[in-house]
Amino acid sequence: MDLLAIPFMRHVLFAGVLVALGLAPLSVYVVLRRIVFVGAAVAEISSAGVALAVLLQYEPFAVALVLTVLTFLVLSRVADSPRLPLEALIGMLYAGGSAAAVLLIVKAPRGEADIVNVLFGNILTVPVPLLWTMLVAFALVIAIQYFAYKEFLIVAYDPDMARALGIRVDVWNTIFYVTAGVAVAIAIRGVGALLTFTMLVAPGAAALSVAGSLSVAFVVATSLGLTCSLLGIFASYWFDFPTGPTIVAFLALGFAASYGWGRLKG
Amino acid sequence: MAINLVRGRDLTLGYRGRVVLDKLDFTIERGDFLGVMGPNGSGKTTLIKAILGLVPPLRGAIEFPGINGEPPRFGYVPQRERLDPHFPLSSLEVAVMGRYGLIPAMRAASVRDFEMARSCLERVRMADRVDVPYRQLSGGQQQRVLIARALAGEPEALLLDEPTNGMDVQAERAIMELLLDLQREQSTTIVFVTHLQSAIEHFARRVALITHRGGMLIGDKQTMLSPGMLARAYAGGE
Repeated sequence: MDLLAIPFMRHVLFAGVLVALGLAPLSVYVVLRRIVFVGAAVAEISSAGVALAVLLQYEPFAVALVLTVLTFLVLSRVADSPRLPLEALIGMLYAGGSAAAVLLIVKAPRGEADIVNVLFGNILTVPVPLLWTMLVAFALVIAIQYFAYKEFLIVAYDPDMARALGIRVDVWNTIFYVTAGVAVAIAIRGVGALLTFTMLVAPGAAALSVAGSLSVAFVVATSLGLTCSLLGIFASYWFDFPTGPTIVAFLALGFAASYGWGRLKG
Repeated sequence: MAINLVRGRDLTLGYRGRVVLDKLDFTIERGDFLGVMGPNGSGKTTLIKAILGLVPPLRGAIEFPGINGEPPRFGYVPQRERLDPHFPLSSLEVAVMGRYGLIPAMRAASVRDFEMARSCLERVRMADRVDVPYRQLSGGQQQRVLIARALAGEPEALLLDEPTNGMDVQAERAIMELLLDLQREQSTTIVFVTHLQSAIEHFARRVALITHRGGMLIGDKQTMLSPGMLARAYAGGE
């Protein structure tokens, strides 16, 4: 295929495959744990952190990583208050993070286009060192998810039962949120907030609409994430669309088809 | 002589300093079939969670005199409505969770664990529903799967939270008879909490009444369900 002959397109394909493998299985837990919008808020806070780091001339990726993991951890521990549902806090973090990112960009010393790339990522411009970082980090995230399957499952499904069995719910929740935070921070840096957020929701939501078991849901989510990623990259090349949004569009279509099929199956 | 499995001494329970149950003294004997009764919100679930070690006492202590002070292995059966139906889990996948406390961290359940879970599903007469999604089962069938899950951990005592809530009379009877069989066949200690007097009347051997003041009266069924005792527990005559 002529597309594969172009070196940078091979990088794009590699990035697309990595993001799908790293985030799609995680998306099953994100949907089941009802933390979909935590992912969105975290993405915006991470972007604001990057913009702040650029303004202060710190290393943007390190700041984004720390902020993302911290926000995940804090939101995982904050329960609904008697006066306010947690959802409202997440909404305000999303809005505040978005506004802060834009306001900080305006005052950043680097060119706006450069900042937008650093801030929002772009699957077409993922540098090779970041691809290797993504490979190592996502491999770790996948390995932890695989080996800690029973712990992640029971602390999400029945935390009281887990405690009664002597399983440390706080420890496993922290491990889950740290791995999710690392995956999200690296994915945002590589491919941008929109694609990261969609990959963190759509495959899991689609899989849970049709799968009869959790193991099948993980397989369906990963397959759908990979397929949509590759289809989006090929379609954007052939029809000259921006790549990230094209992958997102395929993920949305994949979700719509799965959701419809799931409803028809009953 | 009866051997005590659990002993509560001057036990006060609550959350964030707010007292729910106050100054409880009680024992649960090995092989007991104890029904804990009280109105909704009276602290029945709190008592179960305290025995499991999930709610630390505000004052007093829970002791386990039987086995060198170590807690016995408990099988916990929570209120089934608390479990999220969005998880696509089969009956077998739910039942095998009872083994998770016996498997080292970061290791998957083995073939033996699944065989054990399968045999527990057979014991609760759910052998033909092993691969059926848990969320598609009736309330009574879900309760059986949760009992199988608790049994899969090879417990010395089962603690059940409202095991017959929302069931019709027939389903309630079937679940309680299943518990009686388990208790008779293996001398498993059974403690169940309920707000339904019918389950207590027909099946419990001993009864604990949670009173309107957050206290608890405990004794044999005939004494505890006498009109005088019920009035003392619920009508302020304590």
